[in-house]
Amino acid sequence: MFQKIIKKRPKLREVNDVGPLIKFGAVIALCVLLIPVFIVVLTGLNAGDHLTFPPEGLSTRWIIAFFKSEVFLSAFLFSFGLALITMVISTILGTMAAIFITRFSFPGMNFLRALFLSPLILPGIVLGLALYVFYITSGSGLARTFPGMVIGHVLVTLPYVIGTVSAALFNFDVNLEQAARSLGASPLQAFRKVTLPNISNGVMAGSIFAFIVSFGQFDVSLFMATPGNTPLPIALYWSLRYTFEPTAAAAGIFAILLVVTSMLITAKLVNLKKFSGVKFS
Amino acid sequence: MEFSEKLKRIYIYYRPIFLVLPAFIIFLIFFVIPVIGLFVLAFDKPVAGVIDIQGQWTLKSFIRIYSRSLYFDAAVMSVSLAAIVSFITLIIGYPLAYLIAKTEHVGRNTFLMILVLSAMQLDMVIRLFGLMVLFGDNGVINGALLYYNIIEKPIGLMYNKLGVVVGLVQFSLPFMILSLVGIIRGIPPAVVEASRSLGATPVKAFWNIILPLSMPGILAGTLLVFALSISSYIVPALMGGWKVMMMPLHIYQQIAEMGKWQFGSAIAVVLFCTSMITVLVYQRIAIRFAGGRA
Repeated sequence: MFQKIIKKRPKLREVNDVGPLIKFGAVIALCVLLIPVFIVVLTGLNAGDHLTFPPEGLSTRWIIAFFKSEVFLSAFLFSFGLALITMVISTILGTMAAIFITRFSFPGMNFLRALFLSPLILPGIVLGLALYVFYITSGSGLARTFPGMVIGHVLVTLPYVIGTVSAALFNFDVNLEQAARSLGASPLQAFRKVTLPNISNGVMAGSIFAFIVSFGQFDVSLFMATPGNTPLPIALYWSLRYTFEPTAAAAGIFAILLVVTSMLITAKLVNLKKFSGVKFS
Repeated sequence: MEFSEKLKRIYIYYRPIFLVLPAFIIFLIFFVIPVIGLFVLAFDKPVAGVIDIQGQWTLKSFIRIYSRSLYFDAAVMSVSLAAIVSFITLIIGYPLAYLIAKTEHVGRNTFLMILVLSAMQLDMVIRLFGLMVLFGDNGVINGALLYYNIIEKPIGLMYNKLGVVVGLVQFSLPFMILSLVGIIRGIPPAVVEASRSLGATPVKAFWNIILPLSMPGILAGTLLVFALSISSYIVPALMGGWKVMMMPLHIYQQIAEMGKWQFGSAIAVVLFCTSMITVLVYQRIAIRFAGGRA
């Protein structure tokens, strides 16, 4: 009789196994996530004037059209440059702030942490509008300018840099840095030679996130874009309001490649298992 | 001598502040002040075309939002659509989150995470392009249904509430999944094993053990998705074709098309407060459950 009970007891592996129903549900979720992306790729590589059912065949004509397109190519390059500048500024400022937040204790630290994370919870369109109104009323001349847009992008990307770098700093053994200091290194030397190499993965992952978030940023750019300063998401939005240009989808293919590459690099740099996306607390 | 020594000590003690100063100053000037400015503008006398502060404080804009059914209905509809989206996203997202949480194989786990993260980080306008090609009147779905003679004329899948809900679900699904994965992974397998060894069927174990224990993730995920959905501009603009007027659309319309700065700011303040309250509740829940576990 005992034999029977023991036999019936499921093993740990079995408990952890997921049933067919869960697997089916997971496939549906993956479809919802990925089919629209797949459709964009298909439209960009489609031979016809628009994607029909059944598709007409593959061609590179829209890719070529994208490289010749005034609107989309310049918007793509503009977004790329904007994201690069944003990334550099955010990475430097964010890393410094993260060191301060994790290493020192001053009064008001919780407030500071909450302040730096708050662009994540503020609706993007509210932040964009607030900045735009501020630029105009303050007479700073930043409204509808490139520097004005960079500032907005730095605000929304800093939380990502601060989050990833703080996580890396938490995992780093402070004793190593103190050992370097006791052996005669200056604080800066100790940081550069000991701490930085150890947290560099976190810093790089943070900067990649900053780049990608800036590259795909729509809400904050909405009020600031001008015909000369048009990021890719805004250019795509204006064209999508009227037609489905396959050239736009071709631009999308390159954006998709950029995002997937970035995430592959991030996966090499940091443990995605510990990553839980947007952290609010 | 002694005085300069003292100054030096104070300097050394406060020196680390220079690390955070640049970021803090940028946040103060370009984040705190503009947001306060937006609040101030919302309480100023509404005059079309005037953006400067006049100093004539009034609640007129807020009374207008409350009394005009156009804006009040938009607020109610935004809230109800966001609630529906939260629920659907939970149902669709839970199985994948569960699968990711239970996948021990490092390579497979990373692969699934890269898929979710890529979908999340990809520009929403590009994802909407894909959705619109699928759901449009001449789109792939209608095309396929017509091709196989299942329908006779295109059915309206887009430019209505259905389209907006579909778009918002696609938009917020990755956030739901990421909120759930950590919590589900934290459920000790021993508890599930114990229930199973006591005779619970897999379904019963899921219903009575796993689901209640994933509650913190479920609450956090739905609140996060709610806050994201209510403040999305791009999804109702494209999938709703300006026919499903959610709050962010009204903000843009009042500001960019009508020059009603004070009224647009007032709608932004209402949106801000709605999403802030949601997030505060979210944080309370997250902290309470994290605290209870430690």
